[in-house]
Amino acid sequence: MVRILNFFCVALMGFSILALYHVSEKTRVAHMELSQVNARIAQERGTIGVLETEWQHVASPDRVQQLAQAKLGMADSSSVQLSSFDQLPRRGADPAPLNNTPVHNASAQIPAPDSGM
Amino acid sequence: MNEAPTVFQRRIIIGAVLCVAAFALVGIRLVHVTLLKSLDGVRAATAVIARADLTDRNGELLARDLPVKDLYARPQVFWDKGEAARALAGATGADARRLLSGFNNAKHPYVLVARQITPDTEAKVMHLGLPGLEFEPGGKRYYPDGRNAAQVLGVTDPDNNGVSGLELGLQDKIHAAAGGKVATSIDMRVQYILAHEVEQARKTFSAHAAGGVVMNVNTGEVLGMVSLPNFDPNQRRLDAGDSAKNIMAQDVYELGSVFKIFSFALALEDRTLRSLDEVFNIGQVYKIGKHSIHEAEHMPATLPARDILAQSSNIGTLQIALRSGPTRQREFLGHMGLLKPIRTDLPETARPLYPFSNWGQIETATIGFGQGISVSPLSFVAAAASVVNGGRRITPTFLKQTATDLRGEQVLKPQTSEQMRDLLRYVVTDGSGKRADVPGYDVGGKTGSAQVPGPHGRYIPHALRTSFYGVFPVHNPRYVVFVLLDQPHGTKETGGFALAGWTAAPTVGRVIQRIAPLLDVPNILPPTKLASTSPSNP
Repeated sequence: MVRILNFFCVALMGFSILALYHVSEKTRVAHMELSQVNARIAQERGTIGVLETEWQHVASPDRVQQLAQAKLGMADSSSVQLSSFDQLPRRGADPAPLNNTPVHNASAQIPAPDSGM
Repeated sequence: MNEAPTVFQRRIIIGAVLCVAAFALVGIRLVHVTLLKSLDGVRAATAVIARADLTDRNGELLARDLPVKDLYARPQVFWDKGEAARALAGATGADARRLLSGFNNAKHPYVLVARQITPDTEAKVMHLGLPGLEFEPGGKRYYPDGRNAAQVLGVTDPDNNGVSGLELGLQDKIHAAAGGKVATSIDMRVQYILAHEVEQARKTFSAHAAGGVVMNVNTGEVLGMVSLPNFDPNQRRLDAGDSAKNIMAQDVYELGSVFKIFSFALALEDRTLRSLDEVFNIGQVYKIGKHSIHEAEHMPATLPARDILAQSSNIGTLQIALRSGPTRQREFLGHMGLLKPIRTDLPETARPLYPFSNWGQIETATIGFGQGISVSPLSFVAAAASVVNGGRRITPTFLKQTATDLRGEQVLKPQTSEQMRDLLRYVVTDGSGKRADVPGYDVGGKTGSAQVPGPHGRYIPHALRTSFYGVFPVHNPRYVVFVLLDQPHGTKETGGFALAGWTAAPTVGRVIQRIAPLLDVPNILPPTKLASTSPSNP
């Protein structure tokens, strides 16, 4: 009986060792995978950071203005082209102050020469 | 014959089995470590971001650390050190002789080949197939908008420490927020427009240097600051004609007639000037002791006070300044913060120059119209903003603020500030600042055309430093725009004139016209129909 018990204990120990080794290996592999994932996340974050920086560079006002002028024929608007909603006439109301009065681009007009000091 | 094993034999067998099992485990592990080692070779990337991003007030990126690598070599493992030095120099751009000298120096096991190499360069180096190379992860500061905000943002050194501009001034905040963001007060749109218009003006008028500032008069937030010539912060060298100096903060200038703002503000504050309709005798020369002061331009024999500012009469202004007297003038300018270096988030600052111990009548007269005292443009803008913002002190800041009113102590009566706003509007509607006007935005302002001192203390003939201080909308001021041109030249379009009204004023007008809609400043003009869109337009 004692022999059977001894054998059982030794076998149990053996299985425990194997099980422990198995768990340990799985943990190590999981750690390894976690490191890989973390490394990939860090790499992706770095890539996103670079892409954001590149986007900022290509979408800078400087480049956008150059492209808008060269490709779309756009130009700066003058202040007389801008207004607020509360200044627009209501539907059906007197269209004044719009009144269809042609007004030259005032911002582009050059005032009469003076001393300029 | 087949006797059963004894107890000892069985124990020996069990022990042997255990030993075999143990060796088997060691063997398995050995196979794993040797054959599958590559799986363990992946390390989590080292955090290389040591400085926080700098962003503008709307979250647009201004500066960021990008991942780069420093390349080191262990020359002991090279077969041919000369060949390795040449190959690495070719791939990285490093000096081959420096590398060879380092490789032959037995004292150092590691030699720095190149710093902050890009992924492209790293690929070239890897393609060489040299042994003994190690890449140390690091970060390189990158500025997506390049030159536009070079001086105000500043740069870092190769170790990623700030050395100038906000990179140095906000260093503690940038380190504390590493991996995050530090929001500045800069608005990239305003910064770009200011840089673009100032650059255009510098080219048009062939000015030596130029600069500009846009500031919120109620919070002191600087939305844009430009200094030309500038430099490319993404290169670690200055090209020909470049300058890293921020002339708006680091230099002091005699600003000329824009300084008349303070003479009028003081006179109105102290009621030494009771009415803006008071008439003064002008003439062309005014004598103080042995000194004769001339007008820069022909002036009428008499002018009311408001036209003295509008036409920028030196003789009229000095009479108003002399009423205040040297002591009061000095006290007032000191109270406005013009007699000491201004402290902001920028480390660059400059000590003003003024007659320290000999501030008499002639000094009072010349300082009254902006000669004989030199201040930094940023100091001037801060003081001049206090004149129009209800008379309260304002300190420029380069950090985004959440509060909408950060005005400090009262330095002028609100009534004086209101009178000054009216006066500045009058300068633009009826005086020398007409070219700064923008329909719908009620610009107020003052021109300044100062003589430029030469190397021997005498003024350079015909050389001017022109500036314009603009505020909009003048009756409910929100922003000031200041532009300075150093020694501009007149053009055919200006009839050869290089005065501020022809050079700096229109530049400020164009800046205001472009930034006002972006900054949500209401346009008070009724909507109009452009002639160019009208059917009646030929």
